[in-house]
Amino acid sequence: MQVEVSRRKFLQGSISLSIVGASAISATNLFANNDEDSGGGNSSIPKTITTKTGTGKADEVPILCGMCVNKCAAFARVEDGIITKLNPNPYFPKSRNMLCPRGNAGIQTTYDPDRLKYPMIRIGKRGDGKYKRVSWEEAYDAIVNGTDKFKGLKQILDEEKDNRATIGYCNGEGLSKEGFEVLVGQKIGTPNYVDEVSICLETAGGGFFSTIGTYPEIDFEHADYLVIAGANRAEAIITPDTLDMFKYTKGRGLKTICIDPRFTNTAAKSDKWLPINPGTDLAFVLALTWVVFNENLQNEEFMKKHGVGYEEYKQHILSHKYTPEWAEPICGIKAKDIYTIAREFMNAENPIYYPGRRSVLSPNDYQLRRAMAIFQALSGNMDKKGGYIFGNRGLLPAEYVKQPIYENTKERFDTEGIAFPTLKSGSWIVFRNMILEGKNPYPVRAMLMRKHNPMMSVPNTAKTRAFLEKMDLNVVIDILPTDTAMLADVILPEASYLERMSPVKSYGFLEPAVVMRKAAIKPLYETKTPEVIFKELGEKLSKPLFEVSKKHDKALQELIKEKGEKVAFEEGGYNLAEPFEKPIEEKNEEIITEVFGKKAWEIIDEKGVYYPHIEEYHKQLSPNDFQYYPKSKRKYTSRGDSLKVICKNDSLASGGIDVMPTWHDEWKFSVPKGEFRLITGRHAQFTQSGTQNNMMLRDLIPTNFVWINQRVADKMGIKFADRVEIKSEVGAIRLKAYPTEKIAPNQIFLLHGFGSESKGMEFAYGNGGNDATIIKDDIEPMYGAAVMHSTNCKIRKV
Amino acid sequence: MARYGMALDYKNCINCKACEVACKEENGVELGAEKHRIWVGGNNPEGQWPFLDIASAAFMPSQCQHCEDAPCQEVCPTNATYYDENHVVRVDSDKCILCSYCMNACPYDARYVDDRTMTVDKCTFCSDTRLARGETTTACQNTCPTKVRTFGDLDDPNSEISELLRTREHFSLKSHLGTNPKLFYLT
Amino acid sequence: MKVGPLNIPIKEDFSLKSILDFEKTPLNIFLAVSVLTMLAMFAIGVITYLIHGHHAYGVTREHPWGLLIAVYIFFVVSSTGFCIVGSLGDVFGFKRFEMISKRAIFGSIVTIMAGFAVIAFEIGHPVRMMIYNVLTPGLTSAIWWMGTLYGLYLTFMIVEFYFLLNDDMKRAKIFGLTGLLVGLAAHSNLGGVFGFLNARTISNGVYYPTYFILTAFITGIYLSFIVMGFRYKLNFDDKVKDLLEGLAKIQGLLIAILFFFMTWKLLTDMYGGMPNRADVAHHMLHTAPFWAEVIFAMLIPFLVILKDFGKSPKLMFFASLIGMVGIFFMRYNLVHDTQVKPLQMMKLTEYQLPPEWVEYFPSATEIMISLGGLGLCILLYYVGTKAFNLDATH
Ligand code: SF4
Ligand code: SF4
Ligand code: SF4
Repeated sequence: MQVEVSRRKFLQGSISLSIVGASAISATNLFANNDEDSGGGNSSIPKTITTKTGTGKADEVPILCGMCVNKCAAFARVEDGIITKLNPNPYFPKSRNMLCPRGNAGIQTTYDPDRLKYPMIRIGKRGDGKYKRVSWEEAYDAIVNGTDKFKGLKQILDEEKDNRATIGYCNGEGLSKEGFEVLVGQKIGTPNYVDEVSICLETAGGGFFSTIGTYPEIDFEHADYLVIAGANRAEAIITPDTLDMFKYTKGRGLKTICIDPRFTNTAAKSDKWLPINPGTDLAFVLALTWVVFNENLQNEEFMKKHGVGYEEYKQHILSHKYTPEWAEPICGIKAKDIYTIAREFMNAENPIYYPGRRSVLSPNDYQLRRAMAIFQALSGNMDKKGGYIFGNRGLLPAEYVKQPIYENTKERFDTEGIAFPTLKSGSWIVFRNMILEGKNPYPVRAMLMRKHNPMMSVPNTAKTRAFLEKMDLNVVIDILPTDTAMLADVILPEASYLERMSPVKSYGFLEPAVVMRKAAIKPLYETKTPEVIFKELGEKLSKPLFEVSKKHDKALQELIKEKGEKVAFEEGGYNLAEPFEKPIEEKNEEIITEVFGKKAWEIIDEKGVYYPHIEEYHKQLSPNDFQYYPKSKRKYTSRGDSLKVICKNDSLASGGIDVMPTWHDEWKFSVPKGEFRLITGRHAQFTQSGTQNNMMLRDLIPTNFVWINQRVADKMGIKFADRVEIKSEVGAIRLKAYPTEKIAPNQIFLLHGFGSESKGMEFAYGNGGNDATIIKDDIEPMYGAAVMHSTNCKIRKV
Repeated sequence: MARYGMALDYKNCINCKACEVACKEENGVELGAEKHRIWVGGNNPEGQWPFLDIASAAFMPSQCQHCEDAPCQEVCPTNATYYDENHVVRVDSDKCILCSYCMNACPYDARYVDDRTMTVDKCTFCSDTRLARGETTTACQNTCPTKVRTFGDLDDPNSEISELLRTREHFSLKSHLGTNPKLFYLT
Repeated sequence: MKVGPLNIPIKEDFSLKSILDFEKTPLNIFLAVSVLTMLAMFAIGVITYLIHGHHAYGVTREHPWGLLIAVYIFFVVSSTGFCIVGSLGDVFGFKRFEMISKRAIFGSIVTIMAGFAVIAFEIGHPVRMMIYNVLTPGLTSAIWWMGTLYGLYLTFMIVEFYFLLNDDMKRAKIFGLTGLLVGLAAHSNLGGVFGFLNARTISNGVYYPTYFILTAFITGIYLSFIVMGFRYKLNFDDKVKDLLEGLAKIQGLLIAILFFFMTWKLLTDMYGGMPNRADVAHHMLHTAPFWAEVIFAMLIPFLVILKDFGKSPKLMFFASLIGMVGIFFMRYNLVHDTQVKPLQMMKLTEYQLPPEWVEYFPSATEIMISLGGLGLCILLYYVGTKAFNLDATH
């Protein structure tokens, strides 16, 4: 009995129930899997969910994984136009011939039956999910001219007298991110841009950068002591760190101290796990620093040479008496352990205080990163083998874009409560909240959103919804009907990462390389690659928006008078499609050939990876190990004498920021009785909301559970998988409980990225709880980045 | 003609389950948590917060042991389970009658029912996919971020796995049952 | 007596009408309706299974054998039991038991047929089984031996029954003896199916192969009481009373031996220090089906026998009905307890409880097919009583 479980059949179980009284045109029948009209390209859609790889002819197309930020290199095995398998690519030094579970499950993202398949425009009320399938022409036209339901960009800009800043836009991480920034930021010309940076690791980057000049890489191969605090490399996989680190843990050369409120898989791989009170890492690092200075354990020579304000910092630490005994009640870590770790660290040959790539968890995060960087420097294990690596810069030159100047465009305003606002990507929370509170000096009336799901990623979903509802026009470019897409007026379906070639990208550090993603298959349905969308949208917008400028922009009027309209249009950079005119395939070839020569193009075209001498350097050492660069060719030291460790940064004073890392008691951890501190984090089988509809990953993590201490749960009568409600001051969610001893009695944890409210995603809809709904929209003072671990919640069984 | 085995540097394992997904995608294994050829086990750490026992929280990647003396093979009434020419324990789905005896006999819970063919399925060491194409690694080995697995010919003294087993201490699971597994856990 | 094809003596009045012609007492009507209901359930169950496959069953990766295996065992043990009882008279020549031989041998045929009917829907591919059992026999497999021998056994039983009908006692004896031996071999192989499982320490070893023969005999005697009870509507004449008293006495002895077996099995399980065996034994002791087995299959009938050494056949009839309920639990427990300890004790995903005991509860489909098997068995037996003279004729 050969029963094929087809995608369609597989879905029927869950889908058939949800189509209730579908009106002529509703989300359910538009978003549902109409695979009979898969239309579009020549590609076919596999009948079964997993497809056994064959032994016959197959193409091996080099791709770069798009399931998370790492961009691991892989080969897509394509048989009969169907991607049957993704295999790791052994040429890319960063991803070291591996693919994580999400990478492997990428096929399911491309063949997700719920994908956005054709352009759609809203015909009902916002949020009720009523859309009409339209052609790309009609969709573009709706963006420019609007419909009877919403206004178009032309009218909005005209009403705003060509103040381009009335358009806001946001963008998710990825290889086509820059293109969208070029189109909307540089060409259309609005400064009002927000992205994942201000809801992710802005202070980590900023803190390290402003202290030692870079966010470093780690040479785990030669390190022998590791403090990994607030980072969970076993579950939040970062390449190459995850791949390197765990080959040496567990008594195999890298003594590992894990500092984390939660017992993570990283803790399970460590020699010691110290649960710390959330948000108190800074006190911990300051106490470590105090021990070092007090016992004179530091590499004085190194600090004398590279430190800036070093002596003052030493005095600062000693005079503040940041002793382990002081830190013990704050951090919940025994003074004895702090002494031991400080001494062991400084006595180790190559100790590492892991920089800890992760989102901003506490308001003091910027200072924490500074203190960490300085503490690492005290060991002198920096810019050398076994330490923090600064390495090479990228291998590719920057690109030049002809950017029009719009005289009437205002500056961005989202600076309230921020010491040093970032001009480029701003602060999501401050931008949103100021508009909601009417503090914006001019109206922001449209949001162009690509590959970004603020409804689930920006803390306080209620506010994000109100913000999006305020807009006259919301445009979403994405691959799935996300919660954000459900508030869009125009939806443009993008090709998934396996269906498109992306701009080449270069990675620096120890073993630099250039990588390229090719398209494994043609775009399915009527989807288009981002660069084609940028080009077409640019083409459609150029003339109408130029007309608006002509009407309102004095400088442009002058220019036209001087040079004539045609020249002004061309030279002024008003042809918005111009950066995208050349197809990405040609562009990539041109860049690579220009920088490295023709042979390099051939190599990267076949292998997806190129770096100088790859043919000579790259070797397979064993079934599992590859050499990318011989050790002698790796640049362990690159800064040399120019390396500066800024212990005291006087320029911070102007923004009211401490010039040296200083503890303030308002950061002490406390939770009112009967409440819990909410902490969030990652599992290895899940990347934020982007993977929530992936059928393969759902087998591994079916939903998000809320971790609650076992004994507390027992007392509250909460058992495994009981449904509970978690309520904070900004919202409430319901999900299943997971009583465990891996978390402290006064904390709860839940995985980010679940709890979608979009009916368009059959698997994700209503599954679990969305943490953004309950996380308060607190910001840290340096850049206005979102603070994730400051919310207290109540929990009850429902 | 080889005698394939697999060595697992199991202390590298971070329980990411890339191997599980790679196996499903490579071999077209049915979706569903119960339908797996390969798995990674973990335990809740013993003790109470904050005194948790790290050693009790180890991860154990596993799959069919390709026993030299396979109980599943012994009990199969139609010889649907057989040793192939490379000593890989395989199931011939044309002969499998789904009496499920092997599922009960396998001491490792390595077998499950493929609902599409209504026969028993299990790890094949990728024999009919990757090995059949002449590749030398299994999907689970190849994808692993921390490179837990080394697959190879135990009869070839020059193979990487032979070298590993000669030079590193190792153990097998439930070896007291006399199944002679060909999965070796390196300590 | 008319003679059917192949010289099979068939009752004179046997016809569809005779089948429908039974005394319309409330009990009989109730029985008839029950049997029809069970047959309808069988049909529904089988259709559900054909549509949904094993999804329709409660079986899982960890508990691949479910109710249908238990019911199959229940029926084949019954068959072997009937065969043993039947053999007492016509094979071993115990005159006292001859009068039940024909009926018992017929019973052994209908019960094993019911067993086959049930197992056909548990095995994924019964037809394929018949082909490859022959083409590529798995000689190390207890299931192969069990299946093959039961196939032979059924043949021998039918042939024996044929000779019994024709009063050819000599040939009946030859086939009866061969059939009995093959049946016992088949049956102990069924025990071996469990005994060979060295991963399942609770079942591993020689216990089940021997225990199966013992419990088959016990089952056979319970069933004899039941069929004789129905045959004589509980009005036993002296000859029958004598027969039943004899059987009851044997039963007393057998149950006593079974008590002895079980006690030692449990004691060695619990205190033998074998990993994974003691905890399963302790677990068993805390489940209701275990006590149902002990009380219904052993204790109650044993007390009834002890009361006056088997001299109350009427009471024994009812005790036997209870006994058969216990025997059902005996089979169910055997199957379930074998699998109750997970082979994989680690958590395979984060969000699950650590494996403790494997849970299983039969699905509606499994229950319907099982009851259907019972219905089929009763129907076949009833038709047999209408068609053949199952009483002793000499
Ligand atoms: S892929 Fe490797 S590290 Fe990940 S779970 Fe499997 S064996 Fe462990
Ligand atoms: S592990 Fe199980 S399935 Fe694999 S060979 Fe051994 S007994 Fe058979
Ligand atoms: S060897 Fe192949 S079939 Fe076996 S578990 Fe690994 S990937 Fe799956």
